[in-house]
Amino acid sequence: MMAPAGAEAEMAAARAAVYGLLARVFSAKPSVELVKAMKDRSMSVSLAACGLAMDEDFTGAADAVLAQSLAEEYTRLFVGPGPRIAAYESVYLPGEGDRGARLWGAATVAVDRFYREIGLELPEGRIPDHLGIELEAMALMAGAEAERLLAGDEEGAGRLSIMQQKFCQEHLLRWVPAVCGDIEQEARSSFYKSMAVLAAGLVEAVCGEGDKSGDKQEEEALNENA
Amino acid sequence: MRTITRRDFLKLGAASTAVLAIEAKLSPFAKAADTLLDGGRSVNRTSGLPRSFLPSTCNQCPAGCGTIGYVEESRVVKIGGNPKHISNQGTLCARGQAGINALYDPDRVLKPLKRTGPRGQGQWTEIEWDEALKTVAEKMTAAKRNPSSLLFLTNDLENDALGRRFTYAFGSPNAVGAAGLYDANKKVATELTWGAAGDMPDVGRSKYMLIFGANPLENHPSFCGFARRLIDSTTQNQGKVVLFDVRLNNTSARSNEVHFVNPGTMALVALAMANVIMQEGLYDKDFIEQWTNVTPAQLVQHLAQYTPERAEAETGVTALVIRRVAAEFANTKPATTVTDATLSNFSNGVQNERAAMLLNIITGNIDNRGGLCLPRQYDLGNPDPAPVQPGTSVFTTPDNVPYAFQQSAGQVLRQIKEHKASVSVLMSHQFNPVYSSPDGGLQAEILKDETLIPYHVAVTPFIDETSAYADIILPEATYLENSEVEVRPSPEQVPYVSLHQPVVPPLESSRSFFAIATELAAAVKGGMEQYFAFKSVDEYLKARIAPISGLTKAGGLDYLKQHGVWYDPKSRPNYASYTAGGFKTPSGKVEVFSQRLTEKGFNPLPSYEPIQNFREMGQNDLVLTIFDTALHTDGLTANCMWLDEIQHNNPAWINPETATRLGIKEGDKIRLIRTSKSGDAKERSVESVAFISEGVHPSVIALAGGVGHSNYGRVAAGEKFDKTEIETPFLQDPNVDLIWWGEKTGINGGIGVNAKQIIPISVDSIGGGVAWGDVVVQVARI
Repeated sequence: MMAPAGAEAEMAAARAAVYGLLARVFSAKPSVELVKAMKDRSMSVSLAACGLAMDEDFTGAADAVLAQSLAEEYTRLFVGPGPRIAAYESVYLPGEGDRGARLWGAATVAVDRFYREIGLELPEGRIPDHLGIELEAMALMAGAEAERLLAGDEEGAGRLSIMQQKFCQEHLLRWVPAVCGDIEQEARSSFYKSMAVLAAGLVEAVCGEGDKSGDKQEEEALNENA
Repeated sequence: MRTITRRDFLKLGAASTAVLAIEAKLSPFAKAADTLLDGGRSVNRTSGLPRSFLPSTCNQCPAGCGTIGYVEESRVVKIGGNPKHISNQGTLCARGQAGINALYDPDRVLKPLKRTGPRGQGQWTEIEWDEALKTVAEKMTAAKRNPSSLLFLTNDLENDALGRRFTYAFGSPNAVGAAGLYDANKKVATELTWGAAGDMPDVGRSKYMLIFGANPLENHPSFCGFARRLIDSTTQNQGKVVLFDVRLNNTSARSNEVHFVNPGTMALVALAMANVIMQEGLYDKDFIEQWTNVTPAQLVQHLAQYTPERAEAETGVTALVIRRVAAEFANTKPATTVTDATLSNFSNGVQNERAAMLLNIITGNIDNRGGLCLPRQYDLGNPDPAPVQPGTSVFTTPDNVPYAFQQSAGQVLRQIKEHKASVSVLMSHQFNPVYSSPDGGLQAEILKDETLIPYHVAVTPFIDETSAYADIILPEATYLENSEVEVRPSPEQVPYVSLHQPVVPPLESSRSFFAIATELAAAVKGGMEQYFAFKSVDEYLKARIAPISGLTKAGGLDYLKQHGVWYDPKSRPNYASYTAGGFKTPSGKVEVFSQRLTEKGFNPLPSYEPIQNFREMGQNDLVLTIFDTALHTDGLTANCMWLDEIQHNNPAWINPETATRLGIKEGDKIRLIRTSKSGDAKERSVESVAFISEGVHPSVIALAGGVGHSNYGRVAAGEKFDKTEIETPFLQDPNVDLIWWGEKTGINGGIGVNAKQIIPISVDSIGGGVAWGDVVVQVARI
């Protein structure tokens, strides 16, 4: 049964928001404000309902202290010395001619091409296939889908939905679960562990192959009428 | 993650929206969602992608070859040689081509980092540039009371014009380069002798090349251009190459004759040859009388002590060979010597270089076609207002090395430890003394000590062994994203100007050194900012090339941007340039007799001074030699995957005769122990694997440099990027199968060792070049 446009729009907007949050989380260290907001009751209840409750290390720490320790954690995980999770698709998916993990690999070019195709352009120097940027692209597409649905442009919304599926299946689905697995394993804080699980779960749920029963269930669950 | 219901997901969505509303939204994308297309825009998906290309200059070694960067869809896909470049003429070595690996090293640092734990413990927080610049500016402003407490350490001071400008503009004289680790002894020897630092053998036009301890087919300050001309000379010119060294290498493979010399005694071979040339009357009487400050009679008398027979006894090269090669060198015109590390990196390095140079002097092969030429290069402008170096200091002019060239980098940090000068802010710019200087352990100890170095700013594209001890890391753009002009001695003997221009824009938050220096100067103020008041980098570059009138006429910076290099197309080598105005020495002549050396108590004539350490060698002692290969530049290229694929390890070369005596077999694990007697430092040791070869002198143990990093990212560490659980057809690529990463076999996890760490800090007392070659080790199986 087709869900009414309003419900579909609501769902797309929710996806846009969650993708957007994840994009923010994986793009830079958290601010004190972000930490404060993440500790807000509605967020913690929502996360708990999804089985992603944070531990005492997150809930019990003072905001400023937590923001600083998460900034160090972010830097350790993604920027400086540490486990060096280079959260770029080309590092996880060496492509033709790359001869191993590298920045600006074949995957990066494909992702950049996709962005241009949908009218997105990054400023000079930004690397298109960073985890945070791919998630942001998903957020933008989902947000645009929601807007078109509300505007009654179902055809446009449908095309944006297809673009999301395409981008997710050709890109995010192929490496985001792996990088999130690494983040989950290397993170010392429950915050990044939870966010990694959420990102992997979302990507798998939204665009995982239909024949995997678990994913199927999730997909169905997400589409089930509330 | 448990299955999420629609209701829960919507709640999570609402909560996420609330969180996102907290911060100002900064989308990385330039175009916002309201213009988002739903696909269908025309994109070229065929293989005939438009490919742009930009000429620039390589920085993977000091040669500065002209390159072309090929860019497809915003990424560099290939780097090749620039055929228009007068130095390398279209050739480019493996290191140059592997520059892509450095640019796209997954472990590049792309954001400013602030230390948030104990120094050296690897605890960092990413910060924004504003905060980074503000923090550094505060530290520098506090240091303003004593500007000399700023110490700026860089790899290539001659070509770091911005670094010098920054340091002098601040009011500190302390811009110190790393020449002391590399060719300081040659620079000092040549400067004392003919008034110019450095030389440029005109190998492309030479008929006879006498190579002392150099390996120009693998490494040279003008690498590609020099190697190409040397090969051209041997093939087209029937030039003869005679090489003296302690190890066989790629250059010896292309030489007509190779002779092993006992380590550290090469000068004696050269002096004995000079003696033969003088005794047999094969010298250029006119040149000696007119252009040197000694007479043939004085030379005959001085050189008489260096008989071929004495040389045979001490060097291992027979008197017969010495006599024959000396006569060939003197009778073949033109001829030149080519010298490098195995001649000059000793405590007697300046004298050794002067001894080899003497052969050119007495045969008149000085600044002539096919002979040993003066370095020819343009002088670039120092844009107005030009800061002057505010005097000197113990760092720039150490009391124990009277003629030090750019100081002796190996000593700098130890001088701080010895309280010869104090430092409040250390800025290291792409310089890694913990890896590249002798006794890295001591260097690290000093860098770690906050009482000695209160604040350390590292400006670098990569975290390395030294920036690991920084308080703040400013992520610099790589040379492929940078702008600068540079001049280097021309192997064609026709001077040129070469341009660095960004082949791609700086990745993420990395910035060019121009941008960093300019913004820091503006933040520090106090008069410093006036030296960096450029409206753009182009304005700076234009001021740099302004003095070169021919280039200005040809189109100036626009010409350089289009071609990458400029030289006067009508210009021919102005050989014998000294005839107009003489040599730039105090006497205007080639100073075979150096008054300046006498004044400081050194031997004023080219002389052989035996290495003290080698006189006391025991039965099991070997001389340690660290050699360069064509694949790595010391401290710089180990993060390049393509290069590591070819060379990632450095077994210890041991002669079979020696191996038998020591009971060592091929592949044995061995330990090299440098006992405390051969230096002032503590006993230190390093492990390696024996590689038994006739290609090394029996009293030498030789290891390649450039590998064995302890902190230079995953590629250098040989760590596999363990993503193989992802199915991708390209992991079946046979090239990927050949990658050794992650195998973790062999010494030090299969990545070789940095033998420099066991070498004590000891320098030539005239020139300040590190005495890398003086080191004696004991070798034992483990």
